[in-house]
Amino acid sequence: MSLILRNIGRKINKNWIVRNLSLNVSDGECLALLGPSGCGKSSTLRLIAGLDKPDEGKILINNEDFTNVSPVDRRIGMVFQSYALFPHLTVLSNLLLGLKVRGVNKDEQRRRVINVLSILQIEDLANRLPAHISGGQRQRVALARALLRDPLVYLLDEPMSNLDAQLREELRPELRRIILNGGQPVVYVTHDQHEAMAMADRIAVLKDGILEQLATPEELYKSPASIFVASFIGRPQINLLTNEPNITTAIRPEDIYLSKEGIESKLIYKEWLGNNQLLLLETPFGKLRVLCEANIRISDNIKINWSKDKEHYFDSNSKLRIN
Amino acid sequence: MNKKMNIIIGSLIIWSIAPLAWQLYTSFSSPEALVEPFSQIKNRWTLENYIQVLTADPPFWKYLLNSTIVGLTTTFITLLFAIPAAYSLSKLKPIIAKSARLILFGAALFPYVLLFLALLEFARYLNIGNNLIALSIPYSALSMPLAVLLLSSAFKDIPKDLEEAARLEGLGIFQRLRWILIPLIAPATSSTAILIFLFSWNEYPIALTWISKNDLLTLPVAIARIAGSSVYSIPYGAYAAATVLGAMPLLLIVLLFQKQIVSGLTQGAIKG
Repeated sequence: MSLILRNIGRKINKNWIVRNLSLNVSDGECLALLGPSGCGKSSTLRLIAGLDKPDEGKILINNEDFTNVSPVDRRIGMVFQSYALFPHLTVLSNLLLGLKVRGVNKDEQRRRVINVLSILQIEDLANRLPAHISGGQRQRVALARALLRDPLVYLLDEPMSNLDAQLREELRPELRRIILNGGQPVVYVTHDQHEAMAMADRIAVLKDGILEQLATPEELYKSPASIFVASFIGRPQINLLTNEPNITTAIRPEDIYLSKEGIESKLIYKEWLGNNQLLLLETPFGKLRVLCEANIRISDNIKINWSKDKEHYFDSNSKLRIN
Repeated sequence: MNKKMNIIIGSLIIWSIAPLAWQLYTSFSSPEALVEPFSQIKNRWTLENYIQVLTADPPFWKYLLNSTIVGLTTTFITLLFAIPAAYSLSKLKPIIAKSARLILFGAALFPYVLLFLALLEFARYLNIGNNLIALSIPYSALSMPLAVLLLSSAFKDIPKDLEEAARLEGLGIFQRLRWILIPLIAPATSSTAILIFLFSWNEYPIALTWISKNDLLTLPVAIARIAGSSVYSIPYGAYAAATVLGAMPLLLIVLLFQKQIVSGLTQGAIKG
């Protein structure tokens, strides 16, 4: 019982926007598709939803081939980035429409809508139009509609990108709880690594339509499979050193420390981040980002060091991890 | 700047209202008053023109009814075919859609008067002259290109997400049209409907040639007959009264649907 993508690919005008992608999302698991814009994450979601057809590969849900099933019959609960609420219908009618069309009987309709309204705490909004409620409330209504679909798979396309940062943080645990409650596979598209790490059990990092790495958030951080993943995951960005031929050494800013003995460096710039500070240093290895505690006084000339086992090594040509 | 705008808008309003006001004035004036507008006449104001028009045989309301029947049928038939056609047009591949639009645009701009002889042959061949419902066939056909163009751009303006969300909700194509798409293009539909109705209301050459029975005439033809009813004089007053009566229903429609035409229903669909 799960969602399986087997070597799926999609091209537009001879350009592959998703290529040879294989994923496996088990029941009750939240998988995030993470990557910069244009990496193919939303395209992948549309393929799973059936809104676009893959040019190659298969999509299996609960071991059944869904590749050619129309989105109308696919039983997908999707939350759109725009929420896509029907603007001419009240919240209640938005939620009832699908049930009515799918032939759910009247009593059952009422029971389920009342249930979902209370889960999401939006009972008060039932008779309002989407234009007259806030962004956060719209997101809840969109989620309610997805829940009522009684779906085989949940798909969430940047569901929080239209909300402000504070609301996003508040909603994350609630969203995760509600969406995983039913035990279906969940695919969550985002370009925000913090959100991916907070929401997902595993993260698939995509670049140019190709899967760079599929791993738990911790693995992604601790052993990135490529230079791209190393640079994409973790803020401030990882330092890349290219002083050895054919090998790129990477060291995270938070793994570098100030010491009495070590590499002589000159302070170029510093940024105070509250509980710590970010230093930009000129060193024999080039410019390095260093994260250190906020209360340390920084002079213009300091020495830094890091332990060898914190280093990551990549092949400079293939950009892939060595070891 | 503002003052200048007011003057421009004011002159435009006068420019478009003046002929109507003149017509209204004429319809309430006695024949003597029309001939000598500046002299003192006892019976300057009169309802005689209206009485004359309304008590003629057939009475004027009969023509209003005829035109309404043709207008409603035309509007109904046109929308019945134009809505699905417009939806399909909005879903076509861009290259095909562009050529289809171009052809429709050409058809919309075609001077239809050139067709009326051929249409008359058509009516005679099928023996559908002197039939009000049959008159809506050429009217719908002639309104179709513009209606399809207007409605298809309305369909295109609907955010793509909305229809996709509806598909995922399990709505088939007819359910999507019924519950989502047609309600969302309602403002465009009502303005298109008014344009179609207006065309049918005002159409002259086809009505003139297809209808010859006195009690089946539509307004424009009937009004023209009033103007030409006497060999010795032109009954300006009766003619004006008929024009005023003929314009009333249109004014009413525009006033009733004004809100729907103006309102933008799609706001709030996307984060706003």
